[in-house]
Amino acid sequence: MTTLKIDVHHVTRVEGHGDIVVDTRNGEIKECRFEVVEAPRFFEAFVRGRPYHELSHITSRICGICSVGHATTSLRATEKALGVEPPEQTMLLRKLNFHGEIIDSHVLHTYYLVAPDFFGVGSVIPLAATHREVVERALRIKKLSGDLCAMIGGRHTHPVAMAVGCFTHTPTAGELREMQARLVDARADMDETVALFATLPWPEFERETEYVSLKKDDEYAFIDGTVVTTDGFSYPIEDYRDVTNEECVPFSTAKWTHHNRESYMVGALARVNNNFDQLHPRAQEAAGKLGLKPICYNPFLNSAAQVVEMVHCVEDSIRIIDELLTRGIQPEQIPEIKVQAGEGVGSCDVPRGILFHNYVYDEDGICVKANCIIPTNQNMANLNHDMQALVPQIMDKPQDEIRLMLEMLVRAYDPCISCSAHFLTVKFV
Amino acid sequence: MSAWREANGESDSSSFATLILGMGNPLRGDDGVGCCMVEELMHLELPHGVHVLDGGAGGLGLLNLMEGWKRVVIVDAAEMGREPGEFVRFTPADVRLASAPDRFSLHHAGLSEVLALANALDRTLPEMVIFGVQPASVGWGEGLSPAVEAALPALIAAVLKEAT
Repeated sequence: MTTLKIDVHHVTRVEGHGDIVVDTRNGEIKECRFEVVEAPRFFEAFVRGRPYHELSHITSRICGICSVGHATTSLRATEKALGVEPPEQTMLLRKLNFHGEIIDSHVLHTYYLVAPDFFGVGSVIPLAATHREVVERALRIKKLSGDLCAMIGGRHTHPVAMAVGCFTHTPTAGELREMQARLVDARADMDETVALFATLPWPEFERETEYVSLKKDDEYAFIDGTVVTTDGFSYPIEDYRDVTNEECVPFSTAKWTHHNRESYMVGALARVNNNFDQLHPRAQEAAGKLGLKPICYNPFLNSAAQVVEMVHCVEDSIRIIDELLTRGIQPEQIPEIKVQAGEGVGSCDVPRGILFHNYVYDEDGICVKANCIIPTNQNMANLNHDMQALVPQIMDKPQDEIRLMLEMLVRAYDPCISCSAHFLTVKFV
Repeated sequence: MSAWREANGESDSSSFATLILGMGNPLRGDDGVGCCMVEELMHLELPHGVHVLDGGAGGLGLLNLMEGWKRVVIVDAAEMGREPGEFVRFTPADVRLASAPDRFSLHHAGLSEVLALANALDRTLPEMVIFGVQPASVGWGEGLSPAVEAALPALIAAVLKEAT
């Protein structure tokens, strides 16, 4: 029997800060957990007292990776509270912007944060020396998705053109056509991406759990829908608290969530598990090549599910642009909004999983109460249960291998723990 | 030419164009100093060929934002062990930005990773000047500390002088 003590402070290649603590004695686990040392807090303090039209801009700053996701969720919450129904073109443009962010976030995670583990290097920088074409491809995809976001949202990060019920700026037909041509060209990069990740030896580990995501009748859901789980439950978005059941745990600033089981998972794998049939045929084909079949209980394959979603979003973006061009893209009118007291819940399935914003406005359209539940918090309990199940299976391996495996597990969840300050630390030479 | 610039009706494709890029998270106190500066600059008439952009917490997206410019002037909060509000002009060659290649977190040291990655791929980046501003606080909360707020006018003057 081995005695093992692992304490990884601030897991690298995770967005933010998190610590892994494992302590086993004579084969018995004494301690095994992933600690969050910092989480987006004070959400309500940021938005309380602010007028309805500012909230999406404030909340888009919570995260530099999911800024479109937060802005869209925030807008849906506000629109429901104020009874605003955005026109179809607005919703199409939002979907397009959203797809851009999904691709942007997933390419970052799969290529820059996950792939180095499989190439046996510490980061994407040494990878650039040994597998230059892989890194160049990632940069091409990242540029495409960034430009897509900028074209619709008016800025690469933190969209400025998104407003309650409309876009304050719309792309021209020419810009849409040019972007569509680039998306069609990107199919080759998508094929290469699928081929690359299909060769990676995903760790063999399974633990049955519940997967939670949005679902819609007519499309693979990212914006709006109902909340569903692989255990057969379905809820209107407004009843999100019946799903999340948040609770405080002593060693983490993040609240844990559970539903039908002791924990649940959100994110790309949850979406693919719940909505596989609505993926674009090319994305379904990619899933086949990656060995991903619903219901998949291997959390490491969350990264494979992200690759599948990149393919889907490229294809669906091509389709949406077709639809916009056929309809004829029009400048949007700022809707007349009847400011009134009300409450609204918005939900989107952002890159890391299902996100909820809930606002209460007074009769002047000032936010008086707010709640936000982010995907990473919802995954925290499930990640810890996975870790506790994984450690006994790998305890006899060398310590470095165990450490790497646990770090890989954390990274597979793509946690975004402190979308946060990113200031420079500078030493003058 | 980025979509953003086209979207804003700016078709200056001159290779002499300079981008002033404010970085940071305005929800994290003085970390937002770059964004606050951009906000102020938006109200000013900028010299021809000078553009301004709030890069927010864009992380590795910086690489895309910097492409195509002749010069980029970056303004960001920087831990330099100085008095809060003090700002220092430097170039990438003058400093060591904390972050070893094996500690790759994309939010926290975007710039150092962008420089390392560009270097590894032999990519030429624009001429780059950085204004680091020593923060007093980068905890959750909006608004700059009095020391950093007080430094804004001098910072803006220095940045504009640099850009023209």
